This record gives sequence, C-alpha cells and structure tokens, in this order.
Amino acid sequence: MSTGPGKFGPGDGAEALPFWVEDPDGAAGEYVLGTLDAAERAAFVRALDRTPALRAAVAAWEARLAPLAATASAMEPDPRVWAGIEAQVAAHPDAQDTDAAGTARIVRLERGLRRWRFGAAAASALAAGLALWIVAGPRPAPDGRQYLAVVDRGGALPALIVRVDLDRGRVHVRSLAAETPPDRSLELWYIHAGTAPRSLGLITDATETLTVPSDLRSDAPDATLAVTVEPKGGAPGGKATGPVIYSGRLIRE
Amino acid sequence: MPIVKASDDADLARLIRSVAEGDRTALRALYTATAPKLLGIILRIVQDRGAAEDALQEVFVRIWQRAGSYDPNGGTPFPWLAAIARHKAIDRLRQEKVARLTQAEEGWLERLADLGDGEADLARRDALAHCLDAVEPAQRDCLVLAYCEGWSREELAARHDRPVNTIKTWLRRGLTGLRSCLEAV
Repeated sequence: MSTGPGKFGPGDGAEALPFWVEDPDGAAGEYVLGTLDAAERAAFVRALDRTPALRAAVAAWEARLAPLAATASAMEPDPRVWAGIEAQVAAHPDAQDTDAAGTARIVRLERGLRRWRFGAAAASALAAGLALWIVAGPRPAPDGRQYLAVVDRGGALPALIVRVDLDRGRVHVRSLAAETPPDRSLELWYIHAGTAPRSLGLITDATETLTVPSDLRSDAPDATLAVTVEPKGGAPGGKATGPVIYSGRLIRE
Repeated sequence: MPIVKASDDADLARLIRSVAEGDRTALRALYTATAPKLLGIILRIVQDRGAAEDALQEVFVRIWQRAGSYDPNGGTPFPWLAAIARHKAIDRLRQEKVARLTQAEEGWLERLADLGDGEADLARRDALAHCLDAVEPAQRDCLVLAYCEGWSREELAARHDRPVNTIKTWLRRGLTGLRSCLEAV
C-alpha cells in the first residue's frame, strides 16, 4: 500500500483501500443518513470500531442533523414494549447487576395454593403494565415440583398458561386466546446463565406439550423460561429475535 | 406528554450514566422521558406500528447494553439516543426489503421551523433550517427523505427518475454543502 494509514486510513495495509477513504466525511454523513448500500454499511460499521476519526465524523453528523429527528411526532408506546424490555433486561442482566429486581417477573406456583394471589414480587411487574397473576394448580401432583404461570398481555397477544413439571421434564403451554397472530409464531426458550438460549419448540396449538431435554433438567432451578414472538415457523437459525412476551425463573421449592 | 427538552440534557446524561451502572429504575425513567419521541422517529421510517414497537424494544435493550459507551464529551444525549433508534429502524427496513408503499410525507422541513425550545436546541435548529434551505432542492429532498423516512439510494433514484450514481453524487454534494454552511454560520 503506497499511502500510509492516514487520519481515516484502514490501519491495515493488507486489504484493499476501503470505499470511504476518498471522502470519509461524506461516507460518515451517508452512514448517518442510512443511504450506504448493505456492503458499504457493514464495512463502515466494522471500521467504526477501530477508527476514532470515523466515530468523531459520525457523531458530528448526528449532532448536525438531530433537529430533523426531533420533527417526528411523539407517540405513546403500547405497554407491552416496556414489559418486553424489562423481561429481556432481566434475562440478560450483563453480570453487572445481581439485584433482586430480576425476581419481579418470577412466577412461582406453590403446591396446594388454591386462590388468586398477588405476590409482592409481581407488584412491580403490575406497575409496569404487565397483568400477571399466580393461580393454583388445578391438578396438584402428589409429588414433585410444579410451577404455573398465567400471562395476559392486554389483548395484543394471546394469554398463556405455562406449567412446568420438572419431574417429568415437561412444559405444558396452553394458549387461552383463539389464535396466535397469523404471521407469527410463539417460541419457548430455556435460558441458563452463561449459555445461549435453547429453543424448546414452537407453541403452535392451543394446547402444547414440550419436553425439557434431559441434560437441562438438573439446571432447571437456575434457569429462566422465556416466550418470544418470532417469524412464522420459528426463530431463524435457532436464535431468538423477537420480543420477549414472558419470562420467569424457576425456583426449587 | 413527555418530550425531550434541550434543558434536560444534563438529566438525560445522568440517567444514561446510571443505566450504565445497571440501574433499572434509571432505565425506566429514561424510557418514560424518551420512548414516545424515539417511537415517532422509528415509525416514520418503518411505517408499521407493530414493527416500530418491536424495534423500540430492541433499542432500549441496546441502550441498556451500550450505555457505558456514551461519552458526554462527545455530544448531547438526544442525538446519541436518536442515532440508536434510527439505525435500528433502518436495519429493520433494509432487512425486510419490502417495497415502499407510501408516498413521501412532505413538510418535515416546515416542521423544523415549528419546533419549540422544548424539542430542539433553537440555535442548532435555526442553523440547520437555514443551511438546508441553501442546499439545491433535489439534493435537499434526498437528504431529508433519507434521514427522516429511511429512503435508500435506489428508492430516491426511482423517485427522481435518475441513476443511482447520480443520487449518490447528490447526497455527497448536499452533505458537503450543508457542512460548509453549518460551519460558516
């Protein structure tokens, strides 16, 4: 490479000159506008990580154009948005916080409990607009650990009953509403700290029985179950992409 | 209606710092203060309410993860938040590759003049309005539709009935003119 890395240079003489070298400020402006083509955009994002001068150029364009962003009309989001954010933040606390707030969405069935109960832990979830309550198991098992949750999301999505039977390694999901959104699928995930979420399968029918893989059962007391809304047919590549509509940690009694 | 005020910059910066420390109450406060405006920004790009709200959720999860990377010396908080929202919206728009069904909404420039001091820094607003006005009209149309509604080079080429390369040239010239003007103001 005859030219040095320079102010905006690639910093890596082995590769061809990147597209933005000729007009780095224009490329940064187009990145902020969103008009770079897909390949340029991907290359530019990678370069941003290692090129402070490009980051500065991007920040300058963001500041210059920001008044135009403010011309958008503000509108109140549906409460499900915050509920989804809370659930996802709880499922991925980033090791930085281990506080008890994560228990806000824990839904726990105690055997023999035969009345509606609003737990203290559920109170903050209610405050966030998430109607969530705990019910007694209609079919108490003589032994074993059962957990049950009823989740209602204000009509935008079907209410779900999720029963987890750890002894049998089964998860029963029952959808209370007539149908899932026609162009989407609901997918159930098993999340254990430090590992990628594993799909337990799609919730396709009104009543669904899914299996907790045997190698996961011993982890269950520390695991979180989550239900996400995915494209029809399930998450592409087995990786959750959609909003989390339900998340609850399992606790050993 | 919670709106983003220029005078709230210090408050927003404080909230972002608390979020970086893992404070969920601060995340909630940041959401209350900025989510309606960010939803508006996303919605005029992706145009579908449900998709926009999904994107908004992803935006706040990203803010939660990336709050530590916000540098108060690098700029005020609102452009940082708006950038996360716009990039998420544009990524989603490009992924879906659906044809643009609606006509361009005219009048974003006019709205610029109507923004109150609660919604934008007035000096920056006036400078941008003045300098956009000085940009050649076709170039200005491309800049504004790309920024506000997420129009791609190809879509702008179809709108103006010009080759994609011409649009690219217009965008670059428009940006250069805008920058020179803003730096001279």
